[in-house]
Amino acid sequence: MNAFLAVLEKDLRLAWRDRAGWLTAAAFAAISILTYSFAFDLATSDVRPLLPGVLWTTFLFAGVFAAGAGFQREGEEGTFDALLLSPVSPTAIFLGKLAATLAALVVIEFALLIAATILFDEPLLTPELVAIVMLGTAGYASLTTLLGTLGSGHRARAVLLPVMALPLLVPMLIAAVRATGETLGLFGGDAPWVLLLGVFAAWSTLTAALLFPLAVER
Amino acid sequence: MNLARRVYALRWVALPPLTGAGVLAMLVGAVVAAPRELVEGDVQRLMYIHVPSAQAMYLAFGVVFVASVMVLWKRDMRWDAAARGAATVGVLFTGFALVTGMLWGKPTWGVYWQWDARLTSTLVLFLVYTAYLLARAVSDPSDEQAARYSAVYAIVGFLDVPLIVMSVRWWRTLHPQPIVARLDPQLPDSMLAVLGISTLAIFLLAAWLILLRTDTERLGQRLLGLRADVDRREEA
Repeated sequence: MNAFLAVLEKDLRLAWRDRAGWLTAAAFAAISILTYSFAFDLATSDVRPLLPGVLWTTFLFAGVFAAGAGFQREGEEGTFDALLLSPVSPTAIFLGKLAATLAALVVIEFALLIAATILFDEPLLTPELVAIVMLGTAGYASLTTLLGTLGSGHRARAVLLPVMALPLLVPMLIAAVRATGETLGLFGGDAPWVLLLGVFAAWSTLTAALLFPLAVER
Repeated sequence: MNLARRVYALRWVALPPLTGAGVLAMLVGAVVAAPRELVEGDVQRLMYIHVPSAQAMYLAFGVVFVASVMVLWKRDMRWDAAARGAATVGVLFTGFALVTGMLWGKPTWGVYWQWDARLTSTLVLFLVYTAYLLARAVSDPSDEQAARYSAVYAIVGFLDVPLIVMSVRWWRTLHPQPIVARLDPQLPDSMLAVLGISTLAIFLLAAWLILLRTDTERLGQRLLGLRADVDRREEA
């Protein structure tokens, strides 16, 4: 527990001191939303059928981007090896990193939801939608955090990370988009999308927490 | 264990002729022996390669999963060679299944591609294992750390399959439900016999290709090791 808190504190402090990494992810997300608005002319027509997809692809791209940024420094400066050498369980390291990633992602996502509420004149900060966003984020952040470590220090990682992460996240993306659509009053089908989101979040967190120690073992 | 080793040693003697005979029987069966389907016509003969390819895909990805678990467990690079070999073959057969499916879909459904549950999940599998091969291809074949990372990715990908299938099934469905793998098969006996032969032939082919790729990867690893050895000696 102490190790978890220490890693979390370290990562949050680093994220705060070196804001560039996270600001880039946030800026990327903001640019995506704007690009979508121009590309699909979201400002004039009825945006609701497109909105869930726009929101979740933006979240996902920002999340994959952020997961890469979270390990950039660790890989470059060799601090990740130092972290692994410390007498701390790798699971605690993983959970600490995951919590730090989640904290930053939630901040970015809330900012995006507020921006989208203003841009598209659609009340998005409803309790249901916030719950869905949290559940979905927990689902994808654990997998992107795991994959982010995998490629740390790899030359082709910037491209590899999305190529590897996005196919795995297809179930989460479908469920999140449908569940979000339902809260906006769109037809989502009869399937229990929120349940699938919850199952995916539990599955991905458990799998990632179990496999992380095996992956980083030297 | 000794017996298994002896059988494994016979792979280059036994597999090529068996596979050759099987594939020949499959072609004769599919093109000549099997009856012409009444509604769909000759295009239905694609089934004899389409269905076995899809099954061989699951076989190959199953091998990738087992070999990846062994990479993490035994720390033996031979398992990494097996995982990479099986992944290559799995991607090949996924490609077969997708392409023959599209060729079959055009005359029967009217379109090459549909965002149907089974097509979509097969495509996602194709993407997952292509990503695996890409990740493994850009790193050194003898890099143990990269092998462990890829193994973790392959395991996560394999465990993701039920979730992918479930999510896209809820999303869309058009593909026919299984007509063979149940207690009262819905195919005529003659078609079923040809399908059985084809499945056997494709499985033999898949096994042969997997072993061939695995041995090639293994030789690549050994070559790298030898080169590093030579370099060290030249320096000394």
